[in-house]
Amino acid sequence: MIRIEGLTKEYAGKAVVRDVTMAIESGTVTVIVGTSGSGKSTFLRMVNRLVEPTAGTVEIDGVDTRRMKAHELRRRIGYAIQDHGLFPHWTVARNIATVPRLLGWPRARIAARVRELLELLQLDPDEIAPRYPHQLSGGQQQRVGVARALAARPDMLLMDEPFGALDPVIRAKAQDDLKAIQERLGSTILLVTHDMSEAIKLGDRIAVMSEGRVEQFAPPADILTRPASAVVESLVGEEDRPFRYLSLLPIAPLVEPGTAEGPPIGTGHSLRDALAEMIWSGRQALPVVDDEGAACGRVTRGALLSAGRPPR
Amino acid sequence: MGRSPDKLGVPMGGLLAVALALPLASYRANRIAPAEPRGLFEALPLSWALAVVGLALAAVAVALAARRPALRLAVSALMLLALLMAIGEAGRTLSAGGAQYARVAPGVGFWLAAFALAILVTDAIVRLRPGPLGRLAALAAALAALGLILVSGQWDGLSVLAEYRGRAAAFWREGGHHLQLAFGSLAVAVAAGVPLGIAIHRARRFKAPVLNGLSLLQTIPSIALFGILIVPLGWVAANVPGAAALGVQGIGMAPAFVALFIYSLLPMVANTAAGLAAVPAGVTEAAAGMGLTRRQQLASVELPLALPVILTGIRIVLVQNIGLATIAALIGGGGFGTFVFQGLGQTATDLILLGALPTVALAFVAAVVLDATVDLLPGARR
Repeated sequence: MIRIEGLTKEYAGKAVVRDVTMAIESGTVTVIVGTSGSGKSTFLRMVNRLVEPTAGTVEIDGVDTRRMKAHELRRRIGYAIQDHGLFPHWTVARNIATVPRLLGWPRARIAARVRELLELLQLDPDEIAPRYPHQLSGGQQQRVGVARALAARPDMLLMDEPFGALDPVIRAKAQDDLKAIQERLGSTILLVTHDMSEAIKLGDRIAVMSEGRVEQFAPPADILTRPASAVVESLVGEEDRPFRYLSLLPIAPLVEPGTAEGPPIGTGHSLRDALAEMIWSGRQALPVVDDEGAACGRVTRGALLSAGRPPR
Repeated sequence: MGRSPDKLGVPMGGLLAVALALPLASYRANRIAPAEPRGLFEALPLSWALAVVGLALAAVAVALAARRPALRLAVSALMLLALLMAIGEAGRTLSAGGAQYARVAPGVGFWLAAFALAILVTDAIVRLRPGPLGRLAALAAALAALGLILVSGQWDGLSVLAEYRGRAAAFWREGGHHLQLAFGSLAVAVAAGVPLGIAIHRARRFKAPVLNGLSLLQTIPSIALFGILIVPLGWVAANVPGAAALGVQGIGMAPAFVALFIYSLLPMVANTAAGLAAVPAGVTEAAAGMGLTRRQQLASVELPLALPVILTGIRIVLVQNIGLATIAALIGGGGFGTFVFQGLGQTATDLILLGALPTVALAFVAAVVLDATVDLLPGARR
């Protein structure tokens, strides 16, 4: 549990972050979204004290971060940034081992941890570990950056535009992978992005920041359906809103008894996936199958469209 | 074949051909007598002269037409070696008949040919694109060849070596002084310059004033700086207990050492600061974010990444100091410059060469070794 109280940063009397208060549950993903200059990066950097707050407190599991030495605090918090920041003169293995080495882990434990992390991030340890960062692709560098941030099993992970340098296809894959890893490890993640789609895709809760203030701090569905201000509404984007909303809803609640033509869709998909399939294949309804592949009914276009219009 | 001749081969091959027609050596009946030129066929036995002409023509042909760098290297290096052997042979031949005071020195033909061949050799090495170890091996081979020629006595007839024989003990002593001056001032400059470079990298507002101040020091002519230092160092020697016992005095090695140190500061400080500034922002950000302390950030990330640029600064300083240390002799600081200024005073060119040639050789060796070291660093990628 991370409690942030009245966090403020001023530079030469001008507030960049103003009086931010929020509580972050352990094991959840919180995404800070905002335009450039909104103060979101400064906010993130105050959590691990790369920037010292002008006022306010950050508490991790009840401990005020100001009571720790800054470098010791940072060793407990994973940190991944946009241009990955890998040390170019160290191999991948040495890069990932950075914090465990600082913490004085024994050699064998570090080696085992490096292997485990590379496998977790779908990188072949024998091939990748001895390489230098410049010998990797952009996507591989980004994954090594995440592995390095996770290395010492940190209390939480701070990520500043972690996918910003990736092209769209690799970026989507990296987002899926991060979500899968987070669900598997139960990590607490605080992620900064300017991309609302990324925020909706990854966040359990989203904080929309503008001019140093948090405009709204809520689950993605609420951000979409009940934007708290004009700024939030403009970030959500009116024309994309229904599709973003559909992407948050699972198929399962809309399944009704009956049959339909053509290939089935799994219950794990979102309504947006179902709509896309209906449009592209010209069908009024899709057969639905559960995780084991057993038929469990159908979903119709009408039900889907009315679900996409949220109550207000 | 319709292929255009080699771009560098035309001037250098031409120079080599011209050099053949110019005097290979100069002969003087005694040390200060006027020099008389001696052509290739006057200076060498017929068999030697013909061999040199034949090889030189082959070298010109290769320089003009050959494409393969290995062939160009082999032929021009062979010709350079033959030239070095031939000048020794000329020394022996010319002084054989004459009086024991006869002096034989390399003539303008020799110097021109040696220059053209040295350019052709280095150009061929560059075209071969050797790695750092290859360049060190080439340097070692060249030094070994030079050493063998010296030890074999092939050059004993040359006047430079006659000057050396007269003052062998002084030569090595002054050589030692020269190295002490050049390397000692470098060591102190590294010890002071790297921390200062780190300091101005961290406290940016001091960067411009410090670098401008050091640039200003750099513009003081060396002789003037020696003069300026006489007063304060003389005062220190007279008033600080123990300073005189350490060898600090207004003239001699102390002011020379201090002057070289002052000239070394700008390259050391500027390169350290530039190397640190070139570390990518994401890397320093990540190092801090991972929880490295300031000291750890500096020691394990920033300095290793800045090291190639810092070493380039050390290379600049060392080559500069080896050259500048020559002037130290003017104020009694010793070094190879001693022979240069003695030679100037006596209008004895051979004595000047005795001081100048080892200085050039030292600077060259230092440059090659440090360049190779920069390339051998683990971070040397790109």
